[in-house]
Amino acid sequence: MADEEKPQPPPAAPPAAAPPKPDPLKEPVASRAVDFLRAAMADAILDVSYFAGQAIVRVPPARLIEVMTCLRDTVDLRFDYLSNLTGMHWPKNERPFEVVYHLDSITYRHRLTVKIDLAETEEAPSVTSVWPTAGWHEREAFDLLGIRFAGHPDLRRILMPDEWQGHPLRKDYPLEGNPGDHVQYREVGTATHVYAQERPILRGFGWKKEVEKTGVGRG
Amino acid sequence: MFRTEEMEINMGPQHPSTHGVLRLVLQLDGEEIKEMRPVIGYLHRGVEKLCEHRTYAMIEPLTDRLDYVAAISENLGYCGAVERLMGLEVPPRAQYIRVVLAELQRLASHLLWLGTHALDLGAMTVFFYTFRERELILDLFEAFCGARLTYNSMRIGGLYEDVPRGWFERVRHLVKIFPARMREYEDLLTVNRIFVGRTRGVGLLGAADAIAYGVSGPPLRASGVNYDVRRAHPYSSYEKFEFDVPLGQNGDTYDRYLVRMEEMRQSLRIIAQALDGMPEGPVRAKVPKYIKPPAGEVYHVVESPRGEQGFYIVSTGGEMPYRMRFRAPSFVNIQALPVICRGAMVADVVAVIGSIDVVIGDCDR
Repeated sequence: MADEEKPQPPPAAPPAAAPPKPDPLKEPVASRAVDFLRAAMADAILDVSYFAGQAIVRVPPARLIEVMTCLRDTVDLRFDYLSNLTGMHWPKNERPFEVVYHLDSITYRHRLTVKIDLAETEEAPSVTSVWPTAGWHEREAFDLLGIRFAGHPDLRRILMPDEWQGHPLRKDYPLEGNPGDHVQYREVGTATHVYAQERPILRGFGWKKEVEKTGVGRG
Repeated sequence: MFRTEEMEINMGPQHPSTHGVLRLVLQLDGEEIKEMRPVIGYLHRGVEKLCEHRTYAMIEPLTDRLDYVAAISENLGYCGAVERLMGLEVPPRAQYIRVVLAELQRLASHLLWLGTHALDLGAMTVFFYTFRERELILDLFEAFCGARLTYNSMRIGGLYEDVPRGWFERVRHLVKIFPARMREYEDLLTVNRIFVGRTRGVGLLGAADAIAYGVSGPPLRASGVNYDVRRAHPYSSYEKFEFDVPLGQNGDTYDRYLVRMEEMRQSLRIIAQALDGMPEGPVRAKVPKYIKPPAGEVYHVVESPRGEQGFYIVSTGGEMPYRMRFRAPSFVNIQALPVICRGAMVADVVAVIGSIDVVIGDCDR
């Protein structure tokens, strides 16, 4: 009997191969919003990832408005504040454009990042109906990256001149710009009507040489 | 015999009270504003594109040039974002000195706002008074980092070096004399009949509108929304300091004035606490010589004097960011201008722009 009561020494564990060290940056964080989305609309979540304490949810563009309205209106989530909206360009990806939404809740002070992927010519649904603040953010994403937003009330360029060609934040756009991207229209008035006269503005690092060679753009 | 028609006029981009190259296209019925369209982009320098071609250390001077009235807040937000991306821990002394610098910057920025806001409304004297104190703060910054406007005051992982000898005593002196100086401004404005007449009930912004349009900073709090990033998502050890978040009731121009004045008092409180509890130790974490954050992304938000300043950095593991976005508080707040100015008079636009405190360098990036 006494022998049986003796605690048995635990069998020595075989020296296992050291497991890959978990990356502290990629550790999952508790997020009520992710739990809710997983429970309520699991079919609308493509992927959930974590980085540096942030939860990032990827949803299909077609379900975006539904998900966003739900996130804003659900009583214990209340993502009433769209902090940031921006676009990304990944030219090597199959769906090269990405729109990123950073949501914040003033009531509960929690955050969530939502992303959608877009094909080359695909339009993103505009969230201006959910948060009016998205209006200018979406105009900027259109201006600098060429992402179109379906349902936006006033999709025009915002930072670049109206007559600019191309979208500067795309990865294939050179830092110094393409010459001829900016054509300025000078309004020339006569007694009867006003017409636009085209005047190219030379840009880029080689502009001085171009001016000497052609004389265009001097002064 | 008489004909009435709506008139469209341009306010700006060269207008002294739009504080930079902001252009507002106004549709007027007499003096009443029917419609307003802000036009921005005159100061667009493509900083986000530039950042994709600079190493992380080279970007910090660029952030100075965004919101050039509050460059330290930009430095703090940018460095904080990169540190989060790398998982770096900043030494406590550096965090405290950063808080002192950021709050001094808030004072300097609010002083500039107060002086020019009052100047726009016809009260010239305040301008000279506020610039007298702003000068003291700029002298402190000059003693700390050698610059008076674009500081490049921080480094990723902490600070370049500790503060010079006697600097804390100078800050203490400023904290001591400042409340009396603030009473001087308040004597000039708070019960001034002209100032109150031009600001009270002017430029109303309701809480629901403010949240929906993403307004942040003092204009949001003047509408009665209790939201301050320092409190909601503390950074740089702000959770260790006691301070109140001043709130307005009516959301008008006068409330925005009161909120900023009270914020200056709270900044003094934070500075005093930081000086009292200043830890000893190094001011810079161990940072690799070449800063190469791992692949990932971070969205880091700080409370700049103008509002919620966000930094979105996407890294693919290289020495330059793949994508950088600045969530500029002025950009978002200007978007709400048409809502605030609905039905206002032309002359009120000047008061409203002043009370929103826009910096076009921040807005246009």
